[in-house]
Amino acid sequence: MSQLHLFHEQTARQRIAAVTDAGSFAELLPPPERLTSPYLAQLGIPVSFDDGVVIGHARIDGKKVYIAAQVGQFVGGAVGEIHGAKLTGLFKAAARDRVPCVVIIESGGVRLHEGSAGEIAIAETMRAIFECRARKVPTIAVIASDIGAYGGMGILSTCCDFRVMTEHGRLGISGPIVIEKWMGKKAYDSSNRALVWKTSGGKTKYLLGDADALVHDAAGAVREAIGKLLTKSSPVTLKNAKARQKELEKRLKRFGKTADPDDVWKGLGVRDIATASLASGPEFAALAKAGRK
Amino acid sequence: MGTAEIAVRRRNKSERLDRVGRLARGKFVSPKNVPELLKQIIEHGDIVCLEGDNQKQADFLANALASLDRKDLRDLHLVMSCITLPAHIQLFKKGMVRQVDFCYAGPQGTAVADLVKAKKFPVGAIHTYNELYARYYIDLTPRVALIAAAKADRKGNLFLAANTEETPAIVEPTAFSDGIVFAQVNEIVDKLPRIDIPADQVDFVVEAPYPMHLQALFTRDPAAITDVQIFMAMVALRGIYEKYEVQSLNHGVGFNTAAIELLLPTYGEQLGLKGKICKYWMVNPLPTMIPAIESGWIERVFSVGGEVGMERYTAARSDVFSTGRDGSFHSNRAMGQLAGHYAVDMFIGASLQIDINGNSSTVSKNRITGFGGAPNMGCQPTGRRHPSKAWLKAGAEASPGPGALPGRKLVVQLVETFQAGRVPTFVEELDAQDPSIKKALHGVAPVMIYGDDVTHIVTEEGIANLGACRSIAERQAAIRAVAGYTPVGLKRSKRVTQDLRARGIVQLPEDVGVSPSQVSRSLLAAQDIKGLVRWSKGLYDPPSQFVDW
Amino acid sequence: MEKFTKAFPSKPLRVPKDRQWALAGVVGSGNLEVMFERAARASDTMECHVETSIPGFRDSWLAALADFARHYPVGGTKVTIHDQGAAPVLVNLRLRQAYDHLVKTKP
Repeated sequence: MSQLHLFHEQTARQRIAAVTDAGSFAELLPPPERLTSPYLAQLGIPVSFDDGVVIGHARIDGKKVYIAAQVGQFVGGAVGEIHGAKLTGLFKAAARDRVPCVVIIESGGVRLHEGSAGEIAIAETMRAIFECRARKVPTIAVIASDIGAYGGMGILSTCCDFRVMTEHGRLGISGPIVIEKWMGKKAYDSSNRALVWKTSGGKTKYLLGDADALVHDAAGAVREAIGKLLTKSSPVTLKNAKARQKELEKRLKRFGKTADPDDVWKGLGVRDIATASLASGPEFAALAKAGRK
Repeated sequence: MGTAEIAVRRRNKSERLDRVGRLARGKFVSPKNVPELLKQIIEHGDIVCLEGDNQKQADFLANALASLDRKDLRDLHLVMSCITLPAHIQLFKKGMVRQVDFCYAGPQGTAVADLVKAKKFPVGAIHTYNELYARYYIDLTPRVALIAAAKADRKGNLFLAANTEETPAIVEPTAFSDGIVFAQVNEIVDKLPRIDIPADQVDFVVEAPYPMHLQALFTRDPAAITDVQIFMAMVALRGIYEKYEVQSLNHGVGFNTAAIELLLPTYGEQLGLKGKICKYWMVNPLPTMIPAIESGWIERVFSVGGEVGMERYTAARSDVFSTGRDGSFHSNRAMGQLAGHYAVDMFIGASLQIDINGNSSTVSKNRITGFGGAPNMGCQPTGRRHPSKAWLKAGAEASPGPGALPGRKLVVQLVETFQAGRVPTFVEELDAQDPSIKKALHGVAPVMIYGDDVTHIVTEEGIANLGACRSIAERQAAIRAVAGYTPVGLKRSKRVTQDLRARGIVQLPEDVGVSPSQVSRSLLAAQDIKGLVRWSKGLYDPPSQFVDW
Repeated sequence: MEKFTKAFPSKPLRVPKDRQWALAGVVGSGNLEVMFERAARASDTMECHVETSIPGFRDSWLAALADFARHYPVGGTKVTIHDQGAAPVLVNLRLRQAYDHLVKTKP
C-alpha cells in the first residue's frame, strides 16, 4: 500500500523524527519541564508545554546536529519570549560546540502578545546564527509548510547559510494580508492563493536563488537535502555581501516593474507555465533548468 | 368537458404569445426586453416555475422577475426546487407570492426562517426533489417555466452541457400542458454539440448578459479532512461496507464520505476489498473519487448534476461516467434520484441533528433549509423487488414478519457526536419539532430521514445497528450508546450498552478491527486538491478558490 | 479558561519504566495536547489536570476521562491537558494516541 507521508502535514516532532537517524533525537527542555508562556497564561490563552518549538540534538547520517522545529498550529508558530530563548540557546550551543544547526520553520514571526520579548529573542537568535557562520558552522533553514516563514522568522531564515524549501513553503517579510492592506487589493489580492504562492512560494524563491534546494514534500527528500548541505558553509564576507547586493539590484532592474508573476517564471526559464505549476519541486527545477539552456 | 378545459388553456397560451408582439423576434428575446416580456406572458395567480437547484440557477431570469413589482404581477404560486438567490427572497418581500412549494433553501435558509417569523412565507409544503417533479405532472403544473441552459441554436434547441439536472423534469410537464418555457442561455450558436431539449418544447430564448450561476457544491478539499473523519471512515468501511459487501451506493456531500472515497485505494486495498465493494455509484462527479476511479475501483457513476472543473475528466472517463454523443458529461436529476431510490444498496450521509428515535433534520429555529434529494435515497424503497447480497443481509437482520419485505436498503447516518462549536448532534427532540415551524408547514415537522428508515448510525464511538433492534426502547438505547458525551449519550446505561454490544447491535471501533493509532492523514490517497489534479493527470480543473499553484 | 483537577480509579500501568512521558496532539484551534507522565502517587489512580479555553463542559470532560481510566490500565499516571476547544472525540483520540506512545517499547 502506498502511504504518502507529506512533510507539510507532519507535526514538529514527527518532522524531527523523520529527518534524523532513528531514535537519535534527544529533546532539550522537553514537555515535562513545563516551560510555558507566562504572558499567554495571563491573557487566558491556552499555553503549550513546549511554547511552540521543539529543540534538541540528533544525528543525521551519523553526524551530530542541533535541530529545532516550530509548531505552526500553536499561535501560528509565533515567537514569544520562551520560544525565542529556546531558539537562541540552540544556535548558541551550535556555535559553541561547532555542531551544524537546522531549524524547521513554520511561523508568521513575532508573537503579538509578547511583542518586544519576541523581537529581542529573534534578534538574539540572528546574532547567534552569525556566530555560527563566523565559525563556519553550517546553519540550515527548512521552509516546507503553508504557514511558511514570515516577519522576523522570514528574515531569520535568510541569515542562515542555506534554505531548503518545498512547493508548499512560503518565504517573505510582510504577509499577503498586510501587503494587500498597504498596496490595495488591485495590486495584491491576498485571497488569490495562486498569486500568493507564485510570488512567495518555494518554486519562485528557488528560481530567484533565495532557496538553495527545492525538494519533494517528503521527509526523505528534506533529509537528503539537509545531509548534502551539512558539510558546507557559506562564509559571511564583504565580497560575498557585495556580490549578493549586485544580484539583488539586477533582479530589481529586471523584474521590479513586472506585474505578472508568470513573467518572472518565464524570464527565469520556465516555458510551459501550466505544466510547471503542477510539477513537484525537483521536476519544476529540472523544467526551469532545461528552459534556460 | 376535458376537451373544453384543454382548449381554454391552449387559447390562453396563444393570447399570451400574442401579447408579446415585437418584444421577441420569433423565439429570441433581447435581454433588455425580458422584464416587459415576463409581464406579458405571466398572469396574476399563475403557477410559475423558477429553475434553480443547489448547483445551477436561471439567475438572469430570476433577477428580471424580481425587478417587477406587485402592481405588475401578484398572487404568484412559485414552484421551485431551491430558494437560493437573493432575487427569490425579493419576490416574497415585495408581496408578489401567494404560495410557494419547494424542496430546499440552502444559502437562503436564514432569510426563509425570517420570512416565516414575519408571516411572509406562505408555504404549501417542503418536498423532496422527485416528489415536487412528480407534482409538476399532477397538480402543480407550471403555466410558465423560467429555465437555464448552456447553449441554444438558431431554432431554439437547447444544450444543457454537464448540468442537465432538473431541466427536463421542468420542461416536459410544462410544454405538454400548454405552458410557456422560457430559457436563458449563456450563448446562442449555429450548431449545438448535442440537443438535450428540442426546440419544439421551447417558447422563448434569451442570451443572458452573464453566464448562469454554477455552484461548486461537491468539491471537498482533502486538506480539510480531519483525523476524526478518517477514523469514522475506517469504522464505516469495516463495519458496513465490508460486512454487507456494498456494491452500489450513494454518498452524501460531506467530508466524512469524502474520507471514505480517499481511503478506498489505500486502506480499502489493504483490506482486500477492491472489486468486492463500491463498484456502482449514484453520485455527482466528486473530485475526491478520482483516485478510486484511477485505481480501477469504480465501474459506473450516474449523476444528478455536474461539478465545476470535472468536465474534461468525466469526458475522458466515459467508460465510467454518462456522456452524450458529443463525448461530454450528462446528468439528470430526476432519473438520478430515481436510481438512488431503487437501484442502490446503500445511502450514507450526514445530518446536523438526530433525535433519540433516529429521526434527523437540518432545520433549526433560525435556519430553515428543507430537504433536497436525501430523503429519496435515505429511505426504504418498498417498491423494490430485485435482490442483492447487501439488501438480503440487512433484511435478514431486521427479521421481517410474514407481511414484510425480505430485504432492506442500508440507510446509514455517519455523524460526529458534536458539530462545530461543541453543539451536540444528538438531541432528545429535533429543533424541527418547534411548534412555530410545524404550524407554518401545516402540522408536518421537516424531518429529513425518519428513524424507521435508518439501518445504522456510525459515530466516532461506534456503530448502532438500528435495523437489528427489536423495540423502540432498544433503538433508543442503541442510539444513546453511540452518542458519546452529548447529554443524550451521558444518559446511557452501562448494563444495557453491554448487552447490546454482546448481541452485536452496538459495535465499538475495536469490535470491527479499527484502532485510533492507525489513524493518519497519510492514509488518504490524496491530501489536497493538487493531489487530485495529479491523480487526474491534469484533467481536473478545480475552481480558482481551491488553486494555490 | 477553565481549570480542573480530578483523579480516577484505574488498573495499574504495566509497562517497563524506560518511557517516562508521552505526548500527543498540539495546542491549536479545535485541538489539544495531552501529556502522560508517570506519577509518584498511588498506582491505582489516573490523576488529571485539564486547562480548557471553553468553559462549561466539565461534566463531559469528567465522563470522558473516567471512561478512559476504566477502559485502559493507566493507574500511576498523571495526565495534563491543554485544550483549545477540541471536540470530546478528539480528546479521546489524543488520550489513546498518547497512551499508545507511552506503552510502546522504544525502537
